[in-house]
This record gives sequence, structure tokens and C-alpha cells, in this order.
Amino acid sequence: MSSDYEYSDDDADYYDEEMMDGTQDDLSMDSEDDMDMEFGGDDFKTSPNGKRKMYEVDYESLSQPAVEKLMAEEVEYVCNVCGLDDSAANLLLRHLNWNKERLVEKYMDNPTSLLVAAGISVPEPTAVPSTSRTRSTDNASASRRSSRGASRLLTSIGVSKAKSPVTSPTLSYHTPRSFKPKLNEPFVCPVCFDDSPQIRTLALECEHTFCSECWATYLVAKIRDEGELSVKCMAEGCAMACPDPFIRTLLVPSPRSPPGDPQQEIDHAKAWSHFQELQVRHYVASNKRLKFCPYPGCTNTVSCPSAADKSSLTTVVPTVSCGARGIGDQMTQSQPQQSGLGLAGKEHKFCFGCHIESDHKPVVCGVAKMWLRKCRDDSETANWIKSNTKECSQCQSTIEKNGGCNHMTCKKCKHEFCWVCMGPWSEHGTAWYSCNRYDEKAGVDARDAQSRSRASLERYLHYYNRWANHEQSAKLSLDLYVKTEKKMEDMQITSSLTWIEVQFMKKAVEEAERCRMTLKWTYAMAYYLAKGNEKDLFEDNQRDLEKAVEDLSELLEGPIEPENIPTLRQKVTDKTVYVQKRNEIVLEDTAKGFLEGRWRWNVAVDGFDDPADVVV
Amino acid sequence: MSGICRMRLAEERKQWRKDHPFGFYAKPTKSQDGSMNLMEWEVGIPGKANTPWENGLYKLTMTFPEDYPSKPPKCKFTPPLFHPNVYPSGTVCLSILDEEKSWKPAITIKQILLGIQDLLDDPNVSDPAQSDAYTMFKNDKTAYERRVRQQARENIPK
Repeated sequence: MSSDYEYSDDDADYYDEEMMDGTQDDLSMDSEDDMDMEFGGDDFKTSPNGKRKMYEVDYESLSQPAVEKLMAEEVEYVCNVCGLDDSAANLLLRHLNWNKERLVEKYMDNPTSLLVAAGISVPEPTAVPSTSRTRSTDNASASRRSSRGASRLLTSIGVSKAKSPVTSPTLSYHTPRSFKPKLNEPFVCPVCFDDSPQIRTLALECEHTFCSECWATYLVAKIRDEGELSVKCMAEGCAMACPDPFIRTLLVPSPRSPPGDPQQEIDHAKAWSHFQELQVRHYVASNKRLKFCPYPGCTNTVSCPSAADKSSLTTVVPTVSCGARGIGDQMTQSQPQQSGLGLAGKEHKFCFGCHIESDHKPVVCGVAKMWLRKCRDDSETANWIKSNTKECSQCQSTIEKNGGCNHMTCKKCKHEFCWVCMGPWSEHGTAWYSCNRYDEKAGVDARDAQSRSRASLERYLHYYNRWANHEQSAKLSLDLYVKTEKKMEDMQITSSLTWIEVQFMKKAVEEAERCRMTLKWTYAMAYYLAKGNEKDLFEDNQRDLEKAVEDLSELLEGPIEPENIPTLRQKVTDKTVYVQKRNEIVLEDTAKGFLEGRWRWNVAVDGFDDPADVVV
Repeated sequence: MSGICRMRLAEERKQWRKDHPFGFYAKPTKSQDGSMNLMEWEVGIPGKANTPWENGLYKLTMTFPEDYPSKPPKCKFTPPLFHPNVYPSGTVCLSILDEEKSWKPAITIKQILLGIQDLLDDPNVSDPAQSDAYTMFKNDKTAYERRVRQQARENIPK
């Protein structure tokens, strides 16, 4: 195990632990501080130790070198099974999207055609299409042609020659063949037409020779501009792929070589590291158990085998964290020195199962996605419609009254009605500009119809407003945090409490934020939950948590009197523990419900039974 | 980079003058001050004999990017051509001219021009670039051919 690997391992453990005992440890991990922290954290422990919570998933954070190590293991496996060298195995895995089972199967079936298709060995000369013209989207036919060529190759050469690609690449990959110009005919690079005798020339196994400068320029362009994973030979129609050692010799100057143009060296080095990152990304993307951290500038990967399968997403919410914090230049791999809040300290938390870049517990991915889509499409429009329009009592068209009297004529169905009482205008007689007929039957009926059609909108807005409110409050928690820090300083001055003893404020703020995130998503969940006992219980839990969080927030916002500090501390600490417990209950119960298949939805959700088929 | 680019283009010009396929022409344009602009070439591609394209000489501008030959030149018929794989702007849609498809730095100007000549009478229906020529080619071959012959007559070199 490399040190990097161990490091990230520890990292993941640390986070697991943190979630388990629910404390937010924020000091550096100095052993000296450890004791104090235990003391400070004790107040907040709900469960002294324990196994993974029901609502958590097992995952591991991997740094780029750790992923590279995994890749190296797969390459080694292929090397051993197929008897290939590293770079050939690498190109093959890349060619088959890191599916090593399929690779071995295909290789055993027909090694030559696979090696040719992956650009590792040269096809028989006649099999190369030599026509100068290949049209756009001729790709399909080109690949058909090459596979046809390959199979022809096999039948004609037979098994005896099929072995040669296995052994011969070893020679040319590691030391790219250098061509000595023939004596009578000096070498001219076909790309730049340089014919000076001192140029360095290189060729892949296909023996298409070019000068090293042209190769390097071409590689940089392919890697930088196109993100090419498998760069082909520069000769027209040639499908030979450049193996990694070949690219390396061109882009990474050997220590012996004389210093070149510094700008060029920087470009080459950038391209080489970009190339390696591309390989890692491709590997991660091909592997269902892995996911790249979506935070900008972060290169970590998370491995979460339990959420690899799409079908598991109906029972678990795989919230993971890559171990790094902050964004861009402020990113740190280590533990945060100050806070878990704010941009610099923001944990790279994301959902392994979907594209939501935050924790959407307790609701499952499918429902969370549906809710976000609905909010994006509807919320603003719905709000506006609600406050500015009414519906025609006859055809239900939505009407905005932008001026004039209360005598409305629907543009669509020509129904005439009163804007105030919504009853038909004909009953209004001559009282045109005022409406005093509120209780007339027709008016009541019309209002009923309207309220029914508005009910669904109202219902949505009920959930949306609460959802948005918690989101907003969570955002404001940064302000609250700043205020709290001020209070903490004040407390240290006005009372005899030490720094470690005033940490309760900070922990309370962090807990409140965490709970608000949970609450936010419970509203998305409740919107889609089918009516019934289960939903009632869910909403009871939700109410308890919400009440507790609001109480805690109130305590935190309140003024501090020096003489009350000990009581305040007691109150806040108690409340924090309580809130934490309520949060646990909501998360546990919901997660259990998913595992038991207890939740029923009022709409069709991916992976769940259609509510139309379920008899309630 | 521009070092390779200009050197290569100068050499391409030399090679072309030494030997080029019959009926074609290709020469760098002149800048306003009269100097030679290697980055933009004027070329002419003749239609093949025994096809509806014969007798026509189709004019094309080739624009070379600074990172040529890592990147392919842009080839544009001036005026735009009636052909299923030519965009309304005149730009040719051909896999060897697409850096993400079959473009390779070793492809020469001669090979490009021969490739485009091939394309004239053998359009690729799976990748249409303009609707006029494409729909006519698909639905009414005779009308398409008539139109191509008409175009060839309009492009007879003086």
C-alpha cells in the first residue's frame, strides 16, 4: 500500500467516525488537543460508539494516485492473464472501457483482431484500407472494414503468426524505434519537411516515421484540445495507437537531455499530466463503483460499491464526501482549521447516485430529482399565477385582470362574469361597478370550482415555500455563524468560560444547519408521499424536528446576558442534543421505511410500484 | 508552432508545383500588399469525366489554422456548391477534414483535393449538410443529376 492510499483511507475513517458520534471535530488532529476535544465532544454524544447508521452508506475516498494504483492492479491482472506487457494491456483496457472480463474473453477468442482493433499491432498490409478518401461518418464502415480485414488476416496467417503481436510490441514500445536515415536518401519528416540530419526521428510499430518535434506538437494538440485517450499514428488511415511510454518519452524530457524552450517544456508537462488525469477520469467513468468528486478543481474519487447498482437507489441515499474541503485555491485535503461553514470549509459532499451536489437525505434520488425539476419548472410561475390571476368559472382559462371594471368577458369562451364574486354577470343587473352579491348561489359555485383547481397549486406552494425557507435559512447560517463567533468571543471575555467551553455555540449552529438540510428534503418527500398513516407518522417526526430546530435557532439568535451564560449553555447544549436526536429519528425512520418498502407515493417514481397499481 | 505550419505549407507548395494531378490548381492567395499569404489557398477541383460533374472546375478556398498540420485546413467552396455534403456556407463536410475523425497531420493537400473530388460524385447520404441537395438526391435522382449538370456548365473554366 502506498502512503497516499493509506492517507485517504484514514481520511474516510475519520469522516465515518465523525458522522457516527455526531460531533463536528474541528481542531487539528494534534494529540495534545485530542484530550480536550473528547471532553468538549462528550456533551454532544448521543450514541457513545456504534456501527454505521441505517441512513449512511459505506464508502471510501480515493486520491488520484490511489485510483492510479487501482488501475495498475487491473493492468497487472490483464498482463498476467494474457501475457502482454503493461502498455499493451493499458491500451486494451482503454479500448474496452476497462471491462477486463470482456477483454479476456475477447482476447482468448481472437487475440490478433483485438490487438489490431485497439491499435496495438499492425494489421496485415493488405488489410489496411489505402484509399485516400474516407468520408464523414464513414466511421461505421471504416470499423467494419478493419474488423473484416482483421478476420481475413487471421484466416490467412493462421495461429502460428497470431502470436507475434504479443511478443513484438514489447520491443518497440519501450524504446521507440529510431530510424537512421539511409545514406543516399536523407530523411525528410513528412509532416514538417525538415530534412536536417540531426533531427530525432520516431515511429510506432507501423514504421511511419516522423520527427520528434512534430510528434510532440501533435500529441499536445490531441491531448489538450480533444482530450484524446488513445492517440493514433500521424499517418493517414493508420490506426496504431501511441502507447504511454512512447508519449512519455516525447513529453517528459529525460534528465540527460539539454534544456529546451521553457514555454514548450511547460506545455509538454501540462499535456502529460492532463493525459494522466484523462486516463483516471476514463477509468472512473467506466467503473460503476467509482464516482469523481463533482466539486470544481477537486481530483478525488469516491468508491461506493453499495450504491453502484441503480436498483439500490430506491432503498439508500448514498451521500458521500470526498474528504477534501473548499473550492479552487482554498481547497484543502486536511481537516478544516476553523469551521465547517463558509466556502473555504465547505465539505465536498455529494450524492453518489445522482447529480445533486449536496446531501438530499432522507429522500431517495428519484424523488429528489423529480422535486427539483418541478421546482425549476413551476415555482416562480406558480407564485405569480397565484397572486395575479383568477380562472374563468366556465372554461378555467387563467385570466389576469390588468385594468378596467369588474365586468369580465373571457376571451376564450366569452363567458361574462364578475371579477369580485366570480358569479355570472347576468345576475348583477345594473349594479355594474360594485359587487354586493357575495352569497348568491352561482357566485359560491363558481368560487368553489376555482378553489378546487387552485387547491393543487396551493398544495404545491405549501411544500415549496417550506422547502425554500429551509434552504434560505441554511444559507443564512453563515451569517448566524459569524454572529455566533462574535458571541463566543464575548462570552470568553464576560464570563470565566474558556475557549473550549464556548464551543457549544458553534456546534449548535452546525447542528441546526444540518437539520435544516434534512427538513428541507422532508418537504420534497412529503409532497410526493401518498396520504395515509405512514405519511402522518412521517409528518409527525418532521414537525417534532422542525419545532426543535426553530427553538434552537431562537436560542442562538437571542441576546446574551453575562449572568445567564451558564443557564444558556445548559439550554443550548440540551437543545442541541435533542435536535440531533430528532434528526436521527427522522433519518433512521425514513431509511428504514425505504428498506422495508414502506413508503407509498402519489405519483409514479422510477423503481417503485406505480401508485395506480397499489390498492390503498 | 507557426514555424512548422509555414515550413510545411512552403514545402506543400513546392511539391505541388513539381507535380500535381491533372486539371487541378492550388496556389496561395496574395495579400493586399502583394505578398504571398501561405495561410489561405485558392484551389480548383475538376469534376471527374463520365460523371454529371465533368467539365466543371469547382473553386474552393483552403484556410489553414495556425496549428496546422496538427489541425486540418478549412475547405470552403466559393460560391457554395449544390451537393449533399456541402454546408450552405460552402464548407465541405468530410471525415478527413475533421480533426476528431480521420484528420492526420500526414495528409497532404493533394490527398485532400483528391478526396474532395471523389466526394463530388459519391455523396455520403448518412451525413447531409444541406437540405436542398440532400432531399433532391434522395427523392428525385434525375432532377438531381440535371441540376448537377447545370452547375457543371456554370463552372466551365474560361
